[in-house]
Amino acid sequence: MSLRVLNPNAEVLNKSAALHMNINAAKGLQDVLKTNLGPKGTIKMLVGGAGDIKLTKDGNTLLKEMQIQNPTAIMIARTAVAQDDISGDGTTSTVLFIGELMKQSERCIDEGMHPRVLVDGFEIAKRATLQFLEKFKTPVVMGEEPDKEILKMVARTTLRTKLYEALADQLTDIVVNAVLCIRKPEEAIDLFMVEIMHMRHKFDVDTRLVEGLVLDHGSRHPDMKRRAENCYILTCNVSLEYEKSEINAGFFYSNAEQREAMVAAERRQVDERVQKIIELKNKVCSGNDNNFVVINQKGIDPPSLDLLARAGIVALRRAKRRNMERLVLACGGEAVNSVDDITPDCLGWAGLVYEHILGEEKYTFVENVKNPHSCTILIKGPNDHTIAQIKDAVRDGLRAVKNTIEDEAVVLGAGAFEVAARQFLMNEVKKTVQGRAQLGVEAFANALLVVPKTLAENSGLDTQDVIISLTGEHDRGNIVGLNQHTGEPIDPQMEGIFDNYSVKRQIVNSGPVIASQLLLVDEVIRAGRNMRKPS
Amino acid sequence: MKEIVTVQVGGFANFVGSHFWNFQDELLGLAEDPYADSVFKKQHLDMDVLYRTGETQQGILTYTPRLVSIGFQGSLGSISSHGTLYNHEPTTTSDVTTWTAGVSTHMAERHKKNLFLRSLYEEQDKTTTVDDRTVDRSGPQREYQDKDIVESLEKGVKFWTDFSKVDYHPQSLYELSGLWMDDWEFDNYGIGRDALAHGLREEEISERLRFFVEECDRVQGFQFMVDDSGGFSAVAAELLENIADEYSNTPVLLYALRAPESYVNLGKRKQTILRSLHDAVSFSRLSSYCNLVVPVGLPSLSTSQVSSFFCIEDEKPYHCSAIYAAALHSISLPFRMGSLAPTTDLHYVSGAVDVNDVVQILSGQSRRNKVAILDMAMPAPSLTGNEAGEKLLDYLHPVTPEIAEDVEDLQAVETMTIHGVLGPGGHQASAFEVKDTIHRAYEHATTRPKFCHLSMAHTPLPIPLPFPSIFKNIVGQHGELLENPAAGPSLKGSLDIHSIPMAVRLRSSSAILPYLENRLGYLRRYGVDRGAPGAELVRSWGFEKDELEDFGEALSKMVIELKPHREVSSDSD
Repeated sequence: MSLRVLNPNAEVLNKSAALHMNINAAKGLQDVLKTNLGPKGTIKMLVGGAGDIKLTKDGNTLLKEMQIQNPTAIMIARTAVAQDDISGDGTTSTVLFIGELMKQSERCIDEGMHPRVLVDGFEIAKRATLQFLEKFKTPVVMGEEPDKEILKMVARTTLRTKLYEALADQLTDIVVNAVLCIRKPEEAIDLFMVEIMHMRHKFDVDTRLVEGLVLDHGSRHPDMKRRAENCYILTCNVSLEYEKSEINAGFFYSNAEQREAMVAAERRQVDERVQKIIELKNKVCSGNDNNFVVINQKGIDPPSLDLLARAGIVALRRAKRRNMERLVLACGGEAVNSVDDITPDCLGWAGLVYEHILGEEKYTFVENVKNPHSCTILIKGPNDHTIAQIKDAVRDGLRAVKNTIEDEAVVLGAGAFEVAARQFLMNEVKKTVQGRAQLGVEAFANALLVVPKTLAENSGLDTQDVIISLTGEHDRGNIVGLNQHTGEPIDPQMEGIFDNYSVKRQIVNSGPVIASQLLLVDEVIRAGRNMRKPS
Repeated sequence: MKEIVTVQVGGFANFVGSHFWNFQDELLGLAEDPYADSVFKKQHLDMDVLYRTGETQQGILTYTPRLVSIGFQGSLGSISSHGTLYNHEPTTTSDVTTWTAGVSTHMAERHKKNLFLRSLYEEQDKTTTVDDRTVDRSGPQREYQDKDIVESLEKGVKFWTDFSKVDYHPQSLYELSGLWMDDWEFDNYGIGRDALAHGLREEEISERLRFFVEECDRVQGFQFMVDDSGGFSAVAAELLENIADEYSNTPVLLYALRAPESYVNLGKRKQTILRSLHDAVSFSRLSSYCNLVVPVGLPSLSTSQVSSFFCIEDEKPYHCSAIYAAALHSISLPFRMGSLAPTTDLHYVSGAVDVNDVVQILSGQSRRNKVAILDMAMPAPSLTGNEAGEKLLDYLHPVTPEIAEDVEDLQAVETMTIHGVLGPGGHQASAFEVKDTIHRAYEHATTRPKFCHLSMAHTPLPIPLPFPSIFKNIVGQHGELLENPAAGPSLKGSLDIHSIPMAVRLRSSSAILPYLENRLGYLRRYGVDRGAPGAELVRSWGFEKDELEDFGEALSKMVIELKPHREVSSDSD
């Protein structure tokens, strides 16, 4: 109360009002994201104030596009987005789970229960659920050659929640092959080694995997070849442009001749570097029809381009930094930082390099490489919002495959895990808990059901019926999930519906933490807001 | 050709940028307009330095600013971030091709286009129909006049796009989305740093920049306009760090821009500490990655001497940004003179320099000071009478805050750009006349800089339609000062005034010392000293103590460099 004396503008919400504010915010956010979930959810088309269109079925993207103001909602959104950063998926589920935990809690609190007790129950339930997940997960042996089928099933499960079935299935192969391409035994998978490139052109089904690299720029000289076969690739980070150095800059007290001389000297240095490259080209290309392509991270100025063009070399400047690494992984050779002692060993190889031009946009394809460890997913689509949505889906698909390889496990999907975990909590865990914390365990267990419930709701099914038939099967010892078309129980294993283990674990972990924080809040003080807000 | 890549970061920077590009667009338009004043016909300026030529997928040629602008999501108002040039599909397309189940549409309230933007679109439509069918050229009469447009802009400019007449490239406008806060909450370095720490934002911005740099044959420099009053200075700093790495040796000229409203004092100690620390950290970070910093933005522009001929409302960024944009435009003129044929008549332009030259003149001389002061005279007086040069120098007033006045600094160096000034007889003064006048004035002056580079151009600053109506009655149609102003509207705008002669000066002088010392003081008092009240705060921004000490060291080096008699004081240490 002292605060109100100090600052009459401060809004102070007492404990129960604060709690209800939090619960309402969580429910509100849940309502927004609910319809997204699953392969039957609705896609959202967001039209901005200037008519810009964003298309998304992804909770993560949706949250980022929403201009959330409510502090509680922001807290939940941050958790959910962090979830995506860590494991690549599960944003929507996290928001739903937190919302449902709050909803279940509200009921108990209205009946006079102290939030502290609930939170204790959550903690017990969380630990038990995580242990249960360890038992429940389906281990996958990765070894030298990962089981491609299981990877495809996981990728398909994710992609089918974001894109229509035919496109999802097409992308399934693409993302699995992409991850397998960049995977190296005994090393963590770096998804950045899969380049995702897009072209606003043709149709979404023209999206494809390029084993090699697609660069979003081309050569800058009219005489350079637009298509070259059997190419040596020199990947370098060497300045091939005349740069001002500090010595010739004090122009206003040195005389003009001196300045000219310095410019000439500088130019000579650049030319010498270009000459080194040309020498190497002549060495490896003499007596054969092979070509030579330079891809440089630094600039190449017109005189240097001229020299290179005259020597029959194709040269690209200002390549992305990441492409230096990707090129070497795709074509072999090494990225050089100096041309002083380049040898043929530094060179990579590509069977085909060609340019594709769309208006002012140029693309260079580096294809037909040997044994690539980097590749490009080339997304095509008729407009920007379609491309953006496919891109999001591809990222999620890649993450799902990566997670599976790293987790060495998957979890049965279609709501099977949630129902099983709920039964485990209700039948096994609850009775081991003393006193009222039991109710916390129960609330947690029921909150888990939000996933199958929402799946059913989005498919237009009766949630009660679905839950009853699912729990019934589980009690009989059959692990089943929900068939979205019929509402009947199905065996996810048979249908090939699998989720990522790490995603599930992350949801179970982070959901209750945030819910507990929101439940234990004592007072919400809002002061200072709106004071500087421009009207 | 020596290209400049422009980067605008943050709210006020985009306001300034919007005016800046309006000036350029006006110059381009006037050069082709058969009815325009002859000074605009032969400008002898190479616009390719700032603009790029492109082509849409349909094969239509485009000419757009070589620009990356970064702002808040929603700060573009009624303008689409993709621009209009490259989008030929109607934006209402509702067919979703990637999903077969349900679609729900969420429409944000459509931003209404103001009268000015509407007139732009109508003009565009009209020209296309005229081309197609050759209907009679008069067309249907608009139901509003330019007067109404000017008035509507005076009344309500909310976004920088509201008064922009420029078509931008789809890669140019970048919006920071998913920050979940209002722009006034985005008020410190730490919060801006967080914004770039997650996700792909930093990479996306760098990619946009790379798009524009890749197509340049020889970049002469980057021109950064940064609103450094809040989180955007961190965004700029991260970007600059990247540039220093990727495009090493390309000089960066940075304007640290502030709107008067960013100086509003909230009176709370906590706020003061936060803001002081922000200023110190932000300046330390930004200055370490660029070659020349020019702080621009007075706490009260309306009451400053710069505004002698204006009536400005400080709380309107639309007003203040117009003045600063005019100065930035003038500074950029010499950068565009260089690549012209050497036979260019020195009568029209002279004193070409590139970004690197300016950096070297100001910061690479006997002492290394990379913080310059910007002075401007708008309008610049005519060069008539005996004391014309002295008068012009008198008219130059600083728009850099926190500087000392009347400092005698024998080491000072400066670059000056004067363009469009009238000579005796009311015609444009020639380069020779201007040079002569200034040199004479400096010969007679009691304090003069050690070195002064002078650039000059014939073309005055054109005043485009969306320029605010802020001129006092005393200013004439071509920016001359009237002795007997005719009775008329109390304030003049773009309809009454066509062009303005300008003079601007960048100076490297010890007058900047208070600006530096304040920042050093803030850093020590609130961040580094034992028990400093903001130590926890800066740590939460991700700076360790030794990093802050490094900042302090760098700042005090800058200060020592400028202190008079520094040899003596460093000996005594």
